Parts: sequence; structure tokens; C-alpha cells
Amino acid sequence: MLLFDIVFNGNDKMYAEAEEAVNAAIAKYGEEKAVGFPETAYALAAYYAETGDKITNLKECKEGLAYIKTQMPRERRLDSVFKSGVATALAAEILEVTKYIDGDPYEGISEGAMTDAQLRELGVPLVVYDIPCVALIIHAAPSVQEAVDLVKSYQSQGNFVCLVGGIIDQLKEANYNMGFNVRVYPIGDNISCAAHAVSVASRVAMVFGNITPGDKVGLQKYHFERFRCFVNAFGPLDEKTVACGAGAIYYGFPVITNDMEYTPSVPKSLIKLADVSKFNKASLEARNIKIKVTNVDIPVAFATAFEGEIIRRGDMQVEFDGSRVDSFELVQTKELTEIEDHNIEVIGPELDEFEQGSKNGIAFVVEVAGKKMQTDFEPVFERKFHAWINGAEGVMHTGQRDMIRVRVSKDAYEAGFRAKHFGEILYAKIKGEFEAVVDKCQVKVYTDQAECTRLRHELAQASFDKRDERLSNLTDENVDVFYTCILCQAFSPSHVCIVTPERLGLCGAVSWLDAKATHELDPEGACQVVPKEGLIDENLGAYESFNEAVHKYSMGALERITMYSIMVDPMTSCGCFECICGIEPFSNGVAIANREYAGMTPLGMTFPELASMTGGGVQTPGFMGHGKHFIGSKKFMAAEGGIQRIVWMPKELKDVVADRLNATAKELYGIDNFADMIGDETITDSDPEALVAFLTEKGHPALGLDPLM
Amino acid sequence: MSEFKLTTVEEFEAATERLLETGAKVGADSWQMRVKNQTPHCKFGESGACCKICSMGPCRITAKAPRGICGCDVHGIVGRNFLRFTAGGAATHSDHGREICHTLYETSADGNYKVKDPEKLIRIAKEWDIETEGKDIYDLAHEVAETGLMEYGKPFGHQRFLKRADKHTQEIWEREEIAPRAIDREVSCSLHMSHVGCSSKPEALVRQALRAGLSDGWGGSMMGTEFSDVLFGTPREMETEANLGVMVEENVNIVVHGHDPSLSEMICEYAEDPEMIAYAKEKGAQGITVSGVCCTSNEVAMRRGIPMAGNYLQQENVVLTGACEAIVVDVQCIFPALGPLSKCFHTKFITTSPIAQMPESEFIRFNSHTAGENAKAIVKAAIENFQNRKKELVHIPQMKQKASVGYSYEEIIRKLDGVTNSQVDDLGTTMPLVDCVKSGVLRGAVAMVGCNNPKVRPDAAHIELMKKLLKNDIILVLSGCSAQAAARAGLMDKEVIYTDIVGAGVRRVCELADIPPVLHMGSCVDISRMMILASNIAKHSGWTVSQIPLVGCAPEWMSEKAVSIGNYVVSTGIDTYLGVEPYAYGSSEVDGLLKGGIKDWVEACYTVEKDIDKLGDLMIERIEEKRVALGI
Repeated sequence: MLLFDIVFNGNDKMYAEAEEAVNAAIAKYGEEKAVGFPETAYALAAYYAETGDKITNLKECKEGLAYIKTQMPRERRLDSVFKSGVATALAAEILEVTKYIDGDPYEGISEGAMTDAQLRELGVPLVVYDIPCVALIIHAAPSVQEAVDLVKSYQSQGNFVCLVGGIIDQLKEANYNMGFNVRVYPIGDNISCAAHAVSVASRVAMVFGNITPGDKVGLQKYHFERFRCFVNAFGPLDEKTVACGAGAIYYGFPVITNDMEYTPSVPKSLIKLADVSKFNKASLEARNIKIKVTNVDIPVAFATAFEGEIIRRGDMQVEFDGSRVDSFELVQTKELTEIEDHNIEVIGPELDEFEQGSKNGIAFVVEVAGKKMQTDFEPVFERKFHAWINGAEGVMHTGQRDMIRVRVSKDAYEAGFRAKHFGEILYAKIKGEFEAVVDKCQVKVYTDQAECTRLRHELAQASFDKRDERLSNLTDENVDVFYTCILCQAFSPSHVCIVTPERLGLCGAVSWLDAKATHELDPEGACQVVPKEGLIDENLGAYESFNEAVHKYSMGALERITMYSIMVDPMTSCGCFECICGIEPFSNGVAIANREYAGMTPLGMTFPELASMTGGGVQTPGFMGHGKHFIGSKKFMAAEGGIQRIVWMPKELKDVVADRLNATAKELYGIDNFADMIGDETITDSDPEALVAFLTEKGHPALGLDPLM
Repeated sequence: MSEFKLTTVEEFEAATERLLETGAKVGADSWQMRVKNQTPHCKFGESGACCKICSMGPCRITAKAPRGICGCDVHGIVGRNFLRFTAGGAATHSDHGREICHTLYETSADGNYKVKDPEKLIRIAKEWDIETEGKDIYDLAHEVAETGLMEYGKPFGHQRFLKRADKHTQEIWEREEIAPRAIDREVSCSLHMSHVGCSSKPEALVRQALRAGLSDGWGGSMMGTEFSDVLFGTPREMETEANLGVMVEENVNIVVHGHDPSLSEMICEYAEDPEMIAYAKEKGAQGITVSGVCCTSNEVAMRRGIPMAGNYLQQENVVLTGACEAIVVDVQCIFPALGPLSKCFHTKFITTSPIAQMPESEFIRFNSHTAGENAKAIVKAAIENFQNRKKELVHIPQMKQKASVGYSYEEIIRKLDGVTNSQVDDLGTTMPLVDCVKSGVLRGAVAMVGCNNPKVRPDAAHIELMKKLLKNDIILVLSGCSAQAAARAGLMDKEVIYTDIVGAGVRRVCELADIPPVLHMGSCVDISRMMILASNIAKHSGWTVSQIPLVGCAPEWMSEKAVSIGNYVVSTGIDTYLGVEPYAYGSSEVDGLLKGGIKDWVEACYTVEKDIDKLGDLMIERIEEKRVALGI
């Protein structure tokens, strides 16, 4: 059969299935029955992105199908094939949503639709190339071993792997650890589940790319140019799979298959390759992805994909717990002559000598030297330890400084992972990522308990205190320059962050020191110096030089920016933000929601809904994305009165920021325990009047301030 | 969609109108006026039914007088005329090729001409079984050049380059006895056969016309192309601009026109010389702009990115701008009208070749030994002429488009290599293109070539056909004045794929391969590149050339060369679509052979259709028929 006919037939079949499902659902529930996927503000995102219309009930499903039918031309031209491919994905999405009418249909291993919160969590790793690519693998590999090897190959490069169909069972059979946290995301068995992957891509385009829903051309262009995704489809292929593939190819996502007979090849788009062991290389090449590999000499896999891996007590060989036993991690700048490069020393017993399941102390002291090294970079490197050590399969790391916890799994231990390998990881990553400033590096891993205790007090705490002093002195006023951060522009082309000592990047991942280091490491890179010149309004934090910088780095999309206002030319958001605040008109303040918070807010919107109001590099006065750390800053919406405007935030977030928030409120307004005046979901998660009553009772300062609008 | 906009034919025409107003002011003649004077054209001539081969005539065939004085019927007369027309074209192209061979023979390490692509020279030498090991590159160049020159007059054997064709095509040429022998022999033989008292059998005359054409395409033209690459570099992708707006009012404008790159390459070289630029500044200009007209322009655009001022029917327009200090010409397609026209302005009309000598021109005889001095003298003369401009006459229409050019066969392969996957594919083949066609992403390809002809609304046929084909996912390779029409319209700007002018298939292919949707393959001799492309597609795909969903098209053709080209394209197995009748419709037999009968010989034939839109439909239909036949 000709390729075109395969696609047309597959499209017809998927459409017929969707139509049947919608009709059956209407017969059962009536047309007004609401439909949707969990925890998303983007309805049926693939459909929404293509058409600009949100499908919310069965009636709209039916109308949606009627529209899709108009997008299924049957001319012998590629345009018809592309349209039919997209129509297949949209029909599949409608088919999928009917499955959600009676609750989440994906129980067990398969996860179905991705939530907005999960999606946003992928934002930073995607933009910084930490996730180089999203792979969608469809159907069963020729053997379980090939399935495992392929998934592992992607995962160990940090790629995010989505699975549809038989491969999920194969991994299950192999006891392979799957889940969002390890970047192996089983969607579901039916090929229509591919719609959930399309939905992810569509939301990425809308959230980070500011693609207007319904802007078909912009959407395609965004995917083609920016969203790094590909499909591996195992044979035997069938019409529906190929029709979905046509949609993927339309968006720019190549399909690699081992079915050598069913379809012709299309360069860079539909690639036939019998040898599954070459899929990884062929797929990355087809999507023009080059992965920088830092070779880490350890006996277990090493990749960012393992960062989210959790090691449970029962699976643990040994634990190091800084909250109970003295532990710490530290970077120290030394003279070049003091360091022997790649010298890794374990001071104390090796892991073999620890009792299984025991709790101990550990210290990582990384000594670096380089002509361009600055002590300001030490905490920048050090904060990466968490991600790096976590990257080893079977090793978990949480916390920082002297509050770290590290677990090594039994599997990793059995594979030969030992204390010296922490040193190998830290050495390889420091040299790999910071080679511009680090000429030499050596690592000391202390497992000797007495040494850990002594050094924690004598060496580490002294360093941390010194740094804290430096940090507390770092204010927007006493530095000469700020930095841009345009790391996100790969995904959010017109967004520019300006990072100041008191305002870190909205993703929470880039502080002023980080930006400074990034600039030193790569002077032409994402972080560029912004001088403070041409004061326009001190209160707003408006400078001519800032306007020039955002104009230049947003490629003309933005004209003006202020640092301290959420009402006047506020900073834009890329979509990766940790938190979003929005005006709460009844109390004259702002409510903040963090990404992890799944509930409702007094603004009548969930985090996903609030987040969808902004992002993509557009200015939306009254809404602002920001990092968690910014909440305690003296500069938080300083132009509108500062943190005393904060009237509500989720309890969990409040607990995280309370100490800094209270200290700042004390300093600025003389208020004690300000956090207690702020409402949360235990007070009300939806009722503005109840919130105002609470605020009145607490004497919250926002009520007495000038109106925000 | 993109903000990019094509320049329309209406805009071309408005610009021309404005220039003609200047012409009227200075009393200049124009082709537009001369067309009026020459219309209606003689029907005997147009149908090919007028015989002037001996002095008993001229004989004109009518119903009342069905035979000439010698007794030759209309089929013989039309056949002889058609053969002579072809021989004229084959001679012209091939003689151009011969000049290039001579230039190659004159190369030396410290001479005016050097070997710029030694790799290609070695490749050709090996192909021709010439020993390359341990040989000085210039010794090798001279040996290859001499071997090439022998192809013109060798007493025995066939053209060496025929072996480049796929096996099936070679077999056809053998079987049909149209494999060309020495080039000069095929031209002489054509003249001989059509002499009074020789052949009057249409089959014999048409067969020889095909053979003469093949001696051009797979002989003289191919040597012209290949050795130009050796001398001046094999074209690679190059950014340039096209249309009259490339001329710069503040600069000394030198326009090169004709076909042989030996002259224009040298002019470009000296126009870039800092000494010359300083001299231009001294004379009140801001710099020197070289731009081109016709195929010389294609040659220097492909290799140097020199902008293209216009194609065949634009040649008078460059003078009408009043800003052309010198129009320097070599051979072919040069209007004798440029002599009198340049006298209405300050423009120097400089002829350089003994082949193309014209009244009212300044003749600076160009040869390989004095090329440098000649070019320098020409550039200098142009600079000195800057001050003679009549400012009140200066008007350069501010219209131009960006163009990506330089898609030699080698460059196309390089682009195709770029879309392969190293885990799956071999490099250096046309397979990516074949796969695009097999899968239906591209429906097929059209090779569009040829001139302008006032019988067709100039450029409109080229541009409208291209748009129609692109919309239908048919990719185009172009050469000659067709290529320039496309460039001037903006179809060679890669941005064009982001408009709705092109179909989704063409857009995707261009996006992935990073190419414009119409590929500029060079000048009219470079149609030989297209023959290589077609036969390599056949070799790689396993199809015969005639099975490939590919057709040729010359909607606005006018010269004898075009008929010679048509004959070798058809003889290579590629159906060819014309927008202008060859002078053959007077004979049902000759016309019947060309439009059908020769298909039995070479698996392809001509289609002539003056309704351009219909011509497009016919090509699309034919491509789809070929697809069905292949089962793709």
C-alpha cells in the first residue's frame, strides 16, 4: 500500500474510534457531561493548541470531531498527509478524554496524561539541555533485552522517555524502574495514548513558547525548530501508528522504525533501521541532537535522568545523614601548586566496612584551583553537587552544605559503587562543566567520623559563615551590575530574566552569583552584564540600561522592564517559574501559588490556571512568575509596598519561606511573625471573603495600603 | 507566515515601462518596438516550410505548390530546417566548450588562468583513463584539455562522456544509432545531410538532429561545464541578489553579458582589486559593482555571488538605467541593438570575442595570454566613464530579491548528504531525493530551462509555471534565463518556502535540506549537469531515466541552442514541454515524430502547448502517470 493510503486509512480508523467513543459516552451521560484531563489548564491541549478552542464537555467533543473531519483532505499531496496526521492525534486525544469520564483510567504503572505541574518541572531541565530530548517509544521491541537497552541508552543520556504500548510490558517484565521521577514515563497501552505525548509538546509550546492557541503555523514552527523530540516505533507497524507518525513528522519529530517493509523511507523523517541497537544514535542524529557526554568512571550508570530516583530504606546499603551525624560538602579554592589534579582520596573506611542499613557521616571536600577561579564561584559549584551525585544510578542525595543526606542502594553497592566514586563524579563534573575556570581539581571524601566532625566545625562552618556574610551584604544597591539570563530562550524566545542579588531568576535556579559565574565561564553565553545606567525611577527599579538590555535580548519583543513592580512593565516569565503571584483584589494584596500546590487559590484559579495567564515571555501586569527565594526578598514587588502585600500562599510554601519572610518583615515594617498573618488553604482555599475576614482578624497590613489597581 | 513577498511580473513590467520612458527621451530603439515592426511573422518561416538551401528558390510549400523545385516535399524541407537549426545550436554550445578547453590548455601556475578545482580535474582524468599519478597538475590540465579538444574531431569512436549515462540510456543510443561521434563531425554531418540533394526523409533528419543534440549535451556542453568548474571552481551554495536593483547608483556599474566565464571571471577579479576601487573613488564613485546579464551572469553568480541584473530580455534595460558605465560582452544572445542603444547614453559597449563582433561597439580582443591586461583596461575604461554619466537620465528601478544559487551536481549531493542518517545511509548518492519521490513527499521534478521570447509574456511563463509546480509538491532545477526569472521574482530566496506558494512536501524537503525550492544549476551549457543528475538518479534508484517522475520544460525558449538542448534532453529519456513551437509544425511527419514518434526510439518526446497554464497541467499529469506506472 502507498504511504499516503496507509496514513489516510489510519486516520479514518482513529477518527471512527473517537466518534464511537464520544457517541457512546453521550448516550450514557448526555452531551453536557464535562470532560477533561487531570490538573491541566489547557483542556485537550493538542486540540487547544491547534484550534484555540477548549473542549470541556461531550458536546464540544462532538463539535471537535466535526472540525477534525474538515482537516482530513485526501489529495495526493503531502499537505493532506500532514493534516491527516494531526487529525489522527486530535481524534486520539478526544478518544482518550472519554476514558477519563469515570475517573483516572490509568492505574498501575501507566500514567496517562501528564499534569501541568509535571510539565513545568520539565521546563528548566529542557531549556538547559539537561534533558536533551524527549523520546516517544511505541510498541514492543523485538526482545525484552533490546527494550531495556534502548530505554536505558536514552535515560543514561538524560533524555525523557515516553512509552506507549508493548514496550511497557517488556520493561515491567524486566523489573525496570519506571516513572516520571526517573524520566521513563509509561503512558498507556493503546496507540491513542500517543495523544498524551502530543499534549505535552503542545503545552510546552503554549507555556514556554507563548504560542497563541490556534496559531497553527506558529505551533508547527515552534515544534520544528525548538522542541527536541523523536519517535521510535517498533514493527509490525499498522495504519493508526503510521497516521500518528505522520502527525509527529509534521511537527518535525522524526520517526525511526525497525519495520523494513511497511512504509517507504523519508529522509530525516521516516527512517528504517533493522538494528535496534543503532536506534539511539540514529534518532539523535535525525533530530540534530548532540549530547555532550561527561565520562564518569563509576560502576553504575550516570545521567541526569536518575536525579529523581528515590531509594527506599529497604533498598539501601548505607546512609549518610547530616541531620544526625556530622556531614558536609564544600568547595575550596586553593593555589595551583597545592593540588594534584584528579587525586581522589578516601579518608576513613570504605563502604564495605559499614553495616548494611547503617547511618553514618560523610564529607566531600573538593579543592579547585585555576587562574580564573574566584571564591564567589564556590557555592555555585557546590550547589550542583546535589544534581551530580543524584545522577548516579542507585545513589540519592538531598540537601546542601552541612545538611546533606546521601543513600547508596544495595544494587549500586553490589555493582561496585564505593566512596571513592563520589570523588570520581565530583571531579568529572567539575572539570567537565567548569573547565573554563578550573585548571586542577582534587577530591577528599571523608568517612572517618572524627574527621567529619572536626572539619564540619573547623572548616565547613567557617566557610559557610563567611559566605553568608558575603551574601547578606550582596544587595541590589551595592553591586555595580546585574546580569541577564536567557537560558530559556531555546524554548521561550522572547523571555529575558534580569538577575540581581536580591532577585534570583524566576526558575529559582539562577542566582546573581550563578549568573556572574555563567558569564565568566562563557562571556558570549546566556548571562550578559547589565550595567545600572540611566535611572528612570528608583522605586520601580527602572533604568534605561535595563530597557536597552531587554529590548536587545528579547530581539525587540520587549521595550521596558522594571525590577520591583508587578504592575508597571513587570519582568516576563518563561514558564519555568517556581511560583506565581497574582492580585487578590478583595484584600488589596497578592496570592502566591507554587508549582507543587495542586489545590485551588482564593483567586479562583489553580496554579496551572494562574500559570497559564503568563509565561512565554509576555508582560502580564498583575501576574508575575518568580522563584521561591524571592518571596523573602526586600525587593519583592517593592514598588507596590513589598512583601506586606502577600495575603495568601499554600501552607507548605509558607513553611519553606517563613524564616526569611519574617526577618524581612521585621526589618522593613517592624512586624513580628508576619508569616502567621498570611492566609493559606487551611484558612480558605477559595473564598476571598473568608480570607479578608482572616486578614482583618490578624491585622494584616495589606488591608490598609493604597489600592493596587 | 513569512513577510517575504515575491516580485510580480506586473512589477517587472512597470519598471520596464519606466525605463522605456527614458529610452523615448533619448530616442532609443527597443525590442518592444521592434517586435511590433516584425509582427505578424512569416508563417512559412514559422512553420518551417520555407527552403533557402539552394539558389533555385526560395521555395515555399503551399497546397498549390506541394513540392520545392528539386521535388523535396514539406516533410523534407521542415526536417532539413529543423536539423540545421539544431546544428546551429550544437555548434554554438560546443564551440563555447571548445574555448573553455583551450583556456584550460593555457593554464599555468603563474598565468592568468589557474586550476581552481584540481580534485575535479583528477576525477575527469581518471574517467578518461589518463594517468594522474605523480603528474604536475598543470601538465595534467594540458593533457586533459588536449584530450577534450580531440573529442571535437577524432576520426573514430563516440563521445567519452557518454559512459557517464546509465546503462539503459547508453543502450538506447547504441540501438538507435544516435550515439554522437566527434562533435564537429555531427555538426558537419547535419549540414551535409541537409544540403541540396541529400536527405529528405524525415526519420533520418530527425535522428541526426537528436545525435547532433547529444554531441552538444553529452559532449561540447558537458566539457564546457566540467572544465569551467576545473578552471573557476565547482559551484557551491552562494548567496546573491537579482534584478536591476543590484546596480548601485553611487558606484561604477560594469555589466557582463554573454556566456563564456573566461572573460567575466577576469573582470570580476579586477573589479575587486583595491587599486581599481581606489581609482573609482578618485573618479567620484563610491566603488565598483559588477552585475551580470544572461548566462555569463549565471556563471559568475554561481561561483562568486556576483549579482544578476537580468536575463535575456532585460539586456537593454541595464543600459536604459543610465547608470551603466560599461556593458562587456563575450558570446551568444547579445543584441546587436546594444550598439546604437549605448550611443544614446554614456555607456561603453565593449565586445571582446572574434565570435561576436558588432557595429558601434568598442572591440577589445580578449585572449588567455592578455586576459589580465584586457580586463584591467576594461575596468579602467568603465571607471573613467563614470564622470560622463548624464545624471538626469539615471534611474535604477529599486527592486531586487535575495537568491541562493550554486547548486552544481556536486553541491546537490552535498545537500542531500546533509539529510542522510549515518546509521542507515550511504553518502554521495541521490537516494534521499529518490526516497522523497518514492514516498510521495515530492511528486516529482521539473528541469526548467531556456530563454525569454517576446512571443510569450516575458518571465511570466517561467514564474507562473514554477509557482504552479511548487504548489503541487514538484521541485525544480533551473538554468539559464529561466533561473534568472526565478531569482528576480524571489523564488530562490529560501524564505519563499514559508509562504503558501509552495506545497507542504516541497517546504519540508527544502527546510530539511536547507535549499530553496528552485535550484539554480547554472548557465545553459550547464544543462549537462542536469543530465548527470538524471542519469545518476536512474543508477541509484534502479529506474530508467524515462521512468523517473521528471520532465523538462522550456516555456519561453528562442535560440537554436535551445533546440539542440531539447534534442539531447529528449534523447536522454526526459519528456520535454515547450511553450513556443519549433519551426516544424508545417510538416505533420516531422511534427508527429517530435511530439510522439521519437518516443519509440528514446522513450521520450516533445509536447508543445502555448497555453501556459495548460502546459503546467500537462506536466503534472505526466509526472503522476509516471508515478502510477512505477507503483509509487
